Amino acid sequence: MLAEFINPYYLQIGCFVLINIILALSVFVPLSTGQLSLASAGFMGLGAYTSALLTIHFELPIIVGVIAGTLIAGLFGILIGVPTLRLQGVYLAIVTLGFGEVIRVVFVNWESLTKGSVGISGIPHIGREILKTFKEFGFNPQSLGLQNNQFIFLSIFFLLLVITVFLVWFFRRQSRSRVGRAYAAINLDEKAAESMGINITYYKVLAFTQGALLAGFAGSLYAHVLAYISPADFSYHRAVDILVFTIFGGSEVIWGPIFGAIFLTFLPEVLRFISEYRYMIYGLMIIILMAVRPQGLIDVTIINWIKSKVSKRGVKHGSRSEKSM
Amino acid sequence: MKRTIKKVAQFSALASMLALAACGGGGEQTSGEADGQATDGGVVKADIGVVSYLSGSGAAYGEAITSGLELALEEINAKGEVEINLIIEDSAGKQDQALTAAQKLMNSENVTALIGPTLSTEMNVVGPEADLNGVPTIGTSTTAEGIPQIGEYIFRNSLPEALAIPASIDKAIEKYDAKKVAILYGNDDVFTKSGFDTMKAAAEEKGLEILTIETFQKGQSDYNAQLTKIKGLNPDLILASALYNEGAVIMDQARKMGIDVPFVGGNGFNSPEVIEIAGDAADGLIVATPWYAEKDDPKVQEFVSKFEEKYGKKPDQFAAQAYDALYIYAEALKNAGSNDRDAFRDALAEVKITGILGDFAFDAEGDVIMTPTVLVIEDGAFKVFE
Repeated sequence: MLAEFINPYYLQIGCFVLINIILALSVFVPLSTGQLSLASAGFMGLGAYTSALLTIHFELPIIVGVIAGTLIAGLFGILIGVPTLRLQGVYLAIVTLGFGEVIRVVFVNWESLTKGSVGISGIPHIGREILKTFKEFGFNPQSLGLQNNQFIFLSIFFLLLVITVFLVWFFRRQSRSRVGRAYAAINLDEKAAESMGINITYYKVLAFTQGALLAGFAGSLYAHVLAYISPADFSYHRAVDILVFTIFGGSEVIWGPIFGAIFLTFLPEVLRFISEYRYMIYGLMIIILMAVRPQGLIDVTIINWIKSKVSKRGVKHGSRSEKSM
Repeated sequence: MKRTIKKVAQFSALASMLALAACGGGGEQTSGEADGQATDGGVVKADIGVVSYLSGSGAAYGEAITSGLELALEEINAKGEVEINLIIEDSAGKQDQALTAAQKLMNSENVTALIGPTLSTEMNVVGPEADLNGVPTIGTSTTAEGIPQIGEYIFRNSLPEALAIPASIDKAIEKYDAKKVAILYGNDDVFTKSGFDTMKAAAEEKGLEILTIETFQKGQSDYNAQLTKIKGLNPDLILASALYNEGAVIMDQARKMGIDVPFVGGNGFNSPEVIEIAGDAADGLIVATPWYAEKDDPKVQEFVSKFEEKYGKKPDQFAAQAYDALYIYAEALKNAGSNDRDAFRDALAEVKITGILGDFAFDAEGDVIMTPTVLVIEDGAFKVFE
């Protein structure tokens, strides 16, 4: 049973689910102020390339690379966020999409640094590095009855799990804080929010930058989990994939993008038994869902419904009047 | 009332999804239990995992590869020396999908060895993982540099660009006494970019003067700017690292412009589709290929006729390479005498067979040793270039 569970195949999918959750959040956060950003793939690429190049050329530890990648993406988030403040809706989507493509074309053409479209291989792998560190301290996974590769994937999975749970917790807290309330107010009506004394410039750039940071962070993790990146990974398709996680799951509450990322990452794996038809089903489900539930699968009503079900069973609950996040 | 209907709809949507997920999970488990074949006294049995590009824009490659494999599988199992069970998984041309597919095959299905993935980019991700797990892997279509060098469990039987391109350039120099060349390549595709690197290195090594290096992007339809410049420089040869769909358009526009020097292409340019798209303009394209369907060899002709009978079309090089790859695996399995991964790997490194691509062996790194055939398009058909 346990050996079945720590099958690297399942852990591998688990890792991609967790990375995709972070990516879905990177679209959700700007969207919660009404900014539709398609630059996630671009920021993800920035994070991935920064971290990969730093760890390869300067032999920095992965954690330094990941932090640097996240910060670079965040810096670009500010640079893009400020001039695009006045754009809304589809116009912002087009600008951010353009930004993502520019980033990709830079990766393709800056051959001396990025090796062009051939991509960068031999990026340090998080799990293998963890294993190495543990071995230096005299710890051997065999003593727990684990194979090396089981240990590698188990360690990545738990690391990512902790990170993702923390991020979800953080953004849930944020949405109930002063910042989150400001986001919600801006999302509902920008002018009204401004007249109430909310600094919309600050909060919109903040939300956009948070999105960029998240995408850059997920990108740098992606690079160290896959150990190989190429510009084709960060193309327009990736941006749309990430957007679909959020739109499919629902963009009103944080559980929407999380559910979308989990469900849409598992779906192609679960459908493997029908091989080449699986992406047809994937597409079909998205079409049906958008026709039936344009607001996404999970919204406030569903959350309240689930909560009421749970509390009816006599489970301890907080005050019902509290607005669901 | 309306709310109730809405709720029912929501619930049924959720329920159907869960049901779908559940039944998918069930299916997977049964297939997981069904395997677990081991060796018995007589025939060596083995599961071989295939990771292939079956859905998405490059699905034609995956289809050719799996067709070639299935044809070889029928013949090998009918012969009865070894018994192979192929488990085919789709990678959709994406690295992460290729990796999960490979993980599934290596860990859930416990395959003896892997065939594929289709693209070199996918192999760059799957290769290190397979090598770490000690699963022998053979690439049948990965032509980029550095693939067998990933590790000692990684092999390939596809002709690398590093062998193909110099061979065709050599022949072209010999025939046309070329001194000056222009290079044209697609810079946003790993395949054409890696082909270009090889072309440039080969041209420099042969002492050719490179007049200009021009680039284009995937899906571009107008190449007049690049071609006008090339025409003005008057090269003896044009080296073009392009996939056949862009390459054919380039040749068409070049001929219309009055550029009549021969083109030398890479592996991706080598497709009968070029003749379909460019027509007469395709004349004068020189490519090196491991696979020549018109070859006067009974083995080749038998394969071509069987393939045409089964799939209704002529096999391309990908089908042929996959077909040979499975024969290489069968031979290794027979010599190893067991489906143990390490025994299989050691036997694989020693394999020598004569397949439809000719005499075949691996070098010390697991790369191919073979002499490619250089072809030229003349009067709308591929002919051997002399």
